[in-house]
Amino acid sequence: MTKLRFLLFFFLVMYVVIILRLFYLQVLKENPSSEYLTTRRIPAARGNIFDRTNQTLATNQVEYKLFAEPKKVSDIEIANIKIARALNVEESTISARLDKTKDWVAIMGGLSRSQKDAIEALKLSGLGFDDEPTRYYPEGSTAAHLIGFVGKNSEDESVGYFGIEGFYDQDLGGLPGLMRSDRDLINRPIFLGTQEKIDPENGRDLVLSIDKTVQDIVKKKLKEGIDKYHAKDGCAIIADPDTMEILGLSCLPDFDQEKYYDFNEQYYKNSAISSLYEPGSTFKPFIMAAGIEEGVIRPDTIYHEKGPVTIGEYTIKTWNNTYEGDITLTRALEKSSNVAMTYVGEKLGKDKLLGYLKSYGFGELTHIDLQGEVANALKQQKDWYPIDYATVTFGQGITVSPIQMIRAFASLINGGNLLEPHVVKKLINGQQAKEIQPHVIRKVISKETSDKIKTMLVSTIANGETKYLRPEGYAIGGKTGTAQIAISGHYDASKTLASFIGFSPIKHPKFIGLVIVNEPKTSQWGSETAAPIFFQIAKELIVYYNVTPE
Amino acid sequence: MKSIFKNSLIGIFILLAAANIYLFVASMYIGDEINKYESHITALKQENTDLEHEVYEVESLQYAASLSASLHFTKQVQPVYFENMKYAFNR
Repeated sequence: MTKLRFLLFFFLVMYVVIILRLFYLQVLKENPSSEYLTTRRIPAARGNIFDRTNQTLATNQVEYKLFAEPKKVSDIEIANIKIARALNVEESTISARLDKTKDWVAIMGGLSRSQKDAIEALKLSGLGFDDEPTRYYPEGSTAAHLIGFVGKNSEDESVGYFGIEGFYDQDLGGLPGLMRSDRDLINRPIFLGTQEKIDPENGRDLVLSIDKTVQDIVKKKLKEGIDKYHAKDGCAIIADPDTMEILGLSCLPDFDQEKYYDFNEQYYKNSAISSLYEPGSTFKPFIMAAGIEEGVIRPDTIYHEKGPVTIGEYTIKTWNNTYEGDITLTRALEKSSNVAMTYVGEKLGKDKLLGYLKSYGFGELTHIDLQGEVANALKQQKDWYPIDYATVTFGQGITVSPIQMIRAFASLINGGNLLEPHVVKKLINGQQAKEIQPHVIRKVISKETSDKIKTMLVSTIANGETKYLRPEGYAIGGKTGTAQIAISGHYDASKTLASFIGFSPIKHPKFIGLVIVNEPKTSQWGSETAAPIFFQIAKELIVYYNVTPE
Repeated sequence: MKSIFKNSLIGIFILLAAANIYLFVASMYIGDEINKYESHITALKQENTDLEHEVYEVESLQYAASLSASLHFTKQVQPVYFENMKYAFNR
């Protein structure tokens, strides 16, 4: 009987202990299920980037990182050989990483699904895989500067840098979700416990104004040109002048977006928006159009080109130091006469000259939707010397960015509207889509002036230095430019920045293009370097857009 | 009366114990199912991503260029009329 009582007492005590323990766990202890509750962040899928024809330019992919727990690998030597063969790498590469003394080692990252399957088929113990979500660019680096890349921040989160990935990082990134779930020791959900899930909001998809065919043409022709003329670097931009939608943009050298970490930071810089240069003669049409708009000159106004012009201690000459006597201003633009431009500048007057520079948007950001745009503020009027007013008429002594240049030039040929350039055409959020409409900032010149300057620019191509480059039967308008590069306050005659800006067709321009070639070695002139590249691009675009001869 | 009450109590106790065991087993089973479907969804998502990757790769101009190069089809199509307008105007 005593034994039975003892047993009863023992069980009673045990029950009391269990009850007290349960009371402690369920009532007294704060957050009772915290030991079983796992909180997991559900990453949002980054939005895709498409071109204007809905072809993919950037999407997501999963790569795999192979890791090992060497102490759990049964035979290291055999594992070495088998892994090396499966991954088609040297055995020494694997053996160097498979350190027996460590608990966990990463063997190789960036593996594809088929490589992962091949390793799994080996059925080796102590191996595992971690998913590595990365970005995939089907067209490679075709639009590297435009799109940018996705890297990591200091908290190891994916962040977009440069271009579209940088500018629209928040839109593309979306909002992560959250999973709170009670799990047992082997990570199975406890059905009766906490099970909460907040779905992530995936990133928005972006449809760009870029046409990947145009982009491919631009990059290919620019690369051929840079190689042919042994230039240091170069940029080309193609846009729709009526909307300022960017159709193609390439700057070389560029970088591989998926292996951005193999490149120096300098390669990330998109010179089309982040570099400033002296435009040279491509600037002349702006001053000419301003003069026509103000009624101080006409395309047929006669200018007496008698020789160099002296301003203070400076002498301004034509590029080839030849002078034709009485010429019209259309002819002055054709032969790119610097001295005639100083005459136009004088007729326009200092205040109006500066006013037009501001109206064309020089000195201000264009607010293109790409990360990294820079602009150089125009000097205060009190800081302008007489020589500055003269040299600015032919594009020296002023720095602009290529995107400012093409935007301003578009206003000359689209009827006078200065527009905000943009690369994104549409943002898609599930079933909703938001279209980006063209944004006119201001009217710079009238339609009449625009038509007159267009005619002058067509004449410039038909009768100027580049007349042999023009495809027969087609009217193309444009202007060459050759600017010496300022180094330590002086111009280096041996180093030039050659450029060409042009458009086609004439009546309703389908595209406007700017080509810039930095320090070409074979020839210093824009007409012999940048212009041929532009015409190579234009010929392909004329075919692509079915432009008929005019 | 006493025996009815006692038997009922035993019956209820057995019923509750059985229900408890059933719920425990059922929750384990559902937990297993959730786990299985979670793994399945993850695998499907990865497969979907891999397939998308293949589709985008095949759609790309880079792939077309490499394919045409492997087939020795490298001459670009250039309309004849571009350099010789007589063809365009049928002269």
